[in-house]
Amino acid sequence: MSSDDTPNTETDAADSDGREPGTNTGQSDAPAAIERLVRASAVERALISVSALLLSVAVGFVLILAAGRMTTCSTAATTYFGVGFCYDPVTVYDLLFLGAFGDLSSDLINGQLATTLSQTTVLMFTGVAVAVAFRAGIFNIGTQGQLVVGALGSAVATLWASTLVSGVVGTLLLLPFGLAVGAFVGGVYGAIPGALKAYADANEVITTIMLNFVATAVALYLVQDHFQDPESVATQTVPLPEYATFPSVIFRARDDFSLVAFVVAAALLVAVYLLIERTSFGYDLRTSGIQPEAAEYGGVDAARTVVASMTLSGALAGMGGAVYVLMIIGNFQTGVPAYGFDGITVSILAGNNPLGVGFAALLFGVLKSGSIVVDVGTDVPPQLVGVLRGLIILFVAMPEFFRMIGTRVWSVRPSGSGGQPVTDGGTVADSRGDVEDDVDAESGVPTEGGERDE
Amino acid sequence: MDRFDRRTFIKGTGIAGLVGLAGCTGGPTGGGDNESGGGEETTTAGGDTTSESGGNETGNESADGGSSGGSGSDVNVGVVYATGGLGDGSFNDQAQQGIQQAESEYGISYNEAQPDEVSQFKNFQQQFASSTDPNYDLVSCIGFLQADALSEVAPQYPDQSFQIVDSVVEADNVASYVFKEHEGSFLAGQMAGMLTTSSFSAGAGSTNEEKVVGFVGGVEGELIGKFEAGYKAGVKNVSEDIQVQSTYVGSFNEPSGGKEAALSMYNAGADIVYHAAGNTGTGVFQAAQEQGAYAIGVDRDQSVTKSSYQNVILASMVKRVDTAVFNAAEAVVQGNFEGGSVTTLGLEQNGVALVYGQGLKSDIPSDVKSEVESVRESIISGDISVPSDPSNV
Repeated sequence: MSSDDTPNTETDAADSDGREPGTNTGQSDAPAAIERLVRASAVERALISVSALLLSVAVGFVLILAAGRMTTCSTAATTYFGVGFCYDPVTVYDLLFLGAFGDLSSDLINGQLATTLSQTTVLMFTGVAVAVAFRAGIFNIGTQGQLVVGALGSAVATLWASTLVSGVVGTLLLLPFGLAVGAFVGGVYGAIPGALKAYADANEVITTIMLNFVATAVALYLVQDHFQDPESVATQTVPLPEYATFPSVIFRARDDFSLVAFVVAAALLVAVYLLIERTSFGYDLRTSGIQPEAAEYGGVDAARTVVASMTLSGALAGMGGAVYVLMIIGNFQTGVPAYGFDGITVSILAGNNPLGVGFAALLFGVLKSGSIVVDVGTDVPPQLVGVLRGLIILFVAMPEFFRMIGTRVWSVRPSGSGGQPVTDGGTVADSRGDVEDDVDAESGVPTEGGERDE
Repeated sequence: MDRFDRRTFIKGTGIAGLVGLAGCTGGPTGGGDNESGGGEETTTAGGDTTSESGGNETGNESADGGSSGGSGSDVNVGVVYATGGLGDGSFNDQAQQGIQQAESEYGISYNEAQPDEVSQFKNFQQQFASSTDPNYDLVSCIGFLQADALSEVAPQYPDQSFQIVDSVVEADNVASYVFKEHEGSFLAGQMAGMLTTSSFSAGAGSTNEEKVVGFVGGVEGELIGKFEAGYKAGVKNVSEDIQVQSTYVGSFNEPSGGKEAALSMYNAGADIVYHAAGNTGTGVFQAAQEQGAYAIGVDRDQSVTKSSYQNVILASMVKRVDTAVFNAAEAVVQGNFEGGSVTTLGLEQNGVALVYGQGLKSDIPSDVKSEVESVRESIISGDISVPSDPSNV
């Protein structure tokens, strides 16, 4: 924990962010610190993220010690300066980060790593779903609801279809079918707030939040009254047959992780990245997000873009729900974990870059899975582990968040760009693209391990 | 300015933090003097000299009350709670009570985990089952939602003993514990039937002329059906003339729905409503208070856990999850743990019981209490058989 000098970078940035909102240096109205932050180079941003991580660990360290003095235990877990503490921060962080990977030296495909990766897989879907909407300038809080309806649709449809086919052929047909149904249902559910925004001028933040409740309640009703598994006292649908779920390649079947799903998720991230950065639809989407008026002036059908991007976002979330059903739980059960809400943070952490989502999701997966290890391995209450997780995410996400505010609210342009808003669609297109690339390249958060890349 | 402010801030925070830390009164009761937290000094003190300091330092929550020293103190139990975690004032807290009882009576050690999602159960169960430091002699899984996960996990660890509470998992290394909710509900029905046919007034309510009582269930199904069946049978045991109104709200977490259902029953002449509906039942209590009528709680002594409704809660049909957890731990300590067994805890084993409400127990007529007690004995002896399916009542 010799992080004496490293966190200073971050302290500088964060402190002056908060306190000096009036100091302007030049052409924009943004505070100097924000402007500095937005103009930070890729290397600087990576450094900021690393020091943010270290700083969060340092703060958490103190919190764990303090909590360890506030509780009582019969034996000290650790001792500093002659004072005994009930919880050992070193153990906690060791288990939180490294525990999530399990004992790699003795078993490369251990169950804990599988849990980490399966969490990561679902979060990749929800993260990229939020990212797509955000890039189009739409704040989709409804990912959770879209995930839930996608999961339910996929579970029910796959169950029905699984009676028609079976065996290996069944798997080959049912998996794409299940994913497609999830995407379709989620997409339709995402299109609703999209259409409401485009044609009725309804604020999507409000509508998507409300539709989350609608989704959960409707799913509860449907399962209870129509699709309930008669064998079970839990509110759930009939479990899917083995061949209708993702096959566990390399990993053990009981660990609920499939490399196939992981590869599908990773490929999807790349596909979405290409879609946003390299196609004309993606261009429409991005320009609508940056400056809707200019986009419309340039010939973009704003309403259509809003609906299309919300549909895409919902479809991605719905696929996440399908993967949750087909890979992790094997049926639909009420009480779907909050992957959708986590997806919002994952996306912000990734600077709304689909490729960055992969790394941010991995960080989230590590933290989720590591929390389990901490819970089992120490006496630290899960609530405190939740606080530590939140700290890490808050610290790592904040610099990116302020960058985003900087570019949106004060229109600060990252270094190396001209900074004029787009007024005529075509000609500035190229430089626009560059700007976006600058913003998003390298926005991957530093992740422990970092053993994968798309 | 800026820098100065920041330094002051950091300095201030640092000092405040140090002072705060120093002020904390908690920490290890052994004090800062025993440096090595993992020392292997198994003080086999007779339990009297220094019961606080030391203890056996095997890493986990070590036994604090060395009352029955030695006998089973090397037994380690891992507890996986139901979603909702500790502090739910119900199922999990009661399970914890059971394991704590085992801790104080047999000196076992335990470690607990609180999953917050159903999909995590498997992982938690495996963590405990595969742990070698410490090695868990029993993994206790609380709540029926864990059954699916456990039926997959248990066969993978044939040498590990598991326990599941409130459901049955068919595996050689799993001991299942279920409850005869219908037996306890029968007593609730017996009491309700006797009170509604007599003139009773205490607390915030009173009974009326009509011979009607009610039942509010959470989600319709086999489990809650047992409550309804027992309750109805108990009421009919008093008199065939008493009408039992019964409804299901469709959720365990919808107090407003529970209130509506109960209100309509009270308005239709019911004076006592029994609920088996989790948090939905809170609405039943509210309705009882508004209408000046009575209610019967479930799972725990709700006149304690929902003390603001003490003046309308006649009794609660408690489900002793703690008994199940304690029994399993006890069996492991005594070396007679039976994998593959299904233990049904009824009135006889104190697995279910009718507990009178704290506020009203002194007002309930003694003839009602003695009749309930004699019915209890008849059920235990087998003279009364209680149906578990409402359609058989």
